[in-house]
Amino acid sequence: MFAQVIFVVWRESVEALLVVGILHAWLAHNAADRGAMKFLWGGVAAGLLTAVALSVALVGFAEVLPPGWQDFFQAGLILAACGLIVQMVFWMRRHGRTLKRELEEGLSRSVQNGQWWGVFVLALAAIAREGSETVVFLYGILAAGAAGHLLQTTLAILLALAAAFATYWLLQVFARRTSWRLFFRVTEIMLLCLGSALLVTAVGYLVSFGLLPYTNPVWNTDFLLRDTSSFGGLVASLTGYRSEPDVVTIATWIVYWGGIIAAFRLESSFAAARSAKA
Amino acid sequence: MNSKPRTAIATAATASGLAGLILAGLAGVLLPSVALAEELPTFTIEMKDGVMTPDHLDVPAGKDVKIVIKNTGTTPAEFESKRLRKEKVLAPGAESFVVLRGLSAGDYTFFDDFRPGAAQGTITAR
Repeated sequence: MFAQVIFVVWRESVEALLVVGILHAWLAHNAADRGAMKFLWGGVAAGLLTAVALSVALVGFAEVLPPGWQDFFQAGLILAACGLIVQMVFWMRRHGRTLKRELEEGLSRSVQNGQWWGVFVLALAAIAREGSETVVFLYGILAAGAAGHLLQTTLAILLALAAAFATYWLLQVFARRTSWRLFFRVTEIMLLCLGSALLVTAVGYLVSFGLLPYTNPVWNTDFLLRDTSSFGGLVASLTGYRSEPDVVTIATWIVYWGGIIAAFRLESSFAAARSAKA
Repeated sequence: MNSKPRTAIATAATASGLAGLILAGLAGVLLPSVALAEELPTFTIEMKDGVMTPDHLDVPAGKDVKIVIKNTGTTPAEFESKRLRKEKVLAPGAESFVVLRGLSAGDYTFFDDFRPGAAQGTITAR
């Protein structure tokens, strides 16, 4: 049980840490000045503040606010994060290599600042998304003062956070030890998979609001990987995998990955047009 | 542009951005759709240190149903169901609820995410 709490808290925080960690590595490699980093850390701080504010509202104002409000808010945050991730991947593919040179030549600073606001909001959304539930949960544990389990649970949570930061640090080490091309390729795939997971979750919220229908599962891949197991749950939260997907889930996968493939095609035809002109 | 005005602008933007987000969240919520949660058929599931009671519920399909979840144990629990698309983290002693809107007929399994190997429950809609 102790191990389970550690694992779940780690899993919830690793998603946010992956987004922030990957952005950190990309910016450290490409951006010539410190400005971009301030947006990233500003977004993290704002995300933490938002998580605390949401938790205070959840705990303190539950009777006053309409029920289910936090689900609407979460769904909005998740959709925003998904869109920003995809936009960030494609923007980095296009501009990553020329960022340093453009800055040195004094070009396009306002364009870059626009993109850095996107970094800010993405960091905010990534942190705030799981942050509020985690804060409420922690508060509940500490307030319950419970029967001998308090110390154990607090310790479990601290260990989980330590594990999460270790994961983040590993990512930075990976960034420094491998070639930039390999690192960028691997992390862009990781981010695109995260985008898929976020979209599946956001669509899930729409189903739970009654805006999309519940339908029966179309197939069952429990024999491959059960999404109710520890590892399966982790894969599900990082890629959007479901072992018993229904029509709505499958449609979401098709729309998302279809859109990504179309975006790659568009990107290469623009690049070809640009080099034909040059 | 040197960094002082930029930092000030960023700070002001952060503050207003935060305020905007919170307002947007509240505004999104003033939609009337969840106003009548008290009138729904209500069921209760008790989660106590890994044991779920009852572990099977029959609910009407096609209607809105409210499930109250209570953690009566001394350890944390997370009510989760992939098919229902619901997740609720509950500290010991905490109580919360989920509203299931218009389930199609079928079986929906739920489990305690903090004890994934343990028993699962089923909600059957008919």
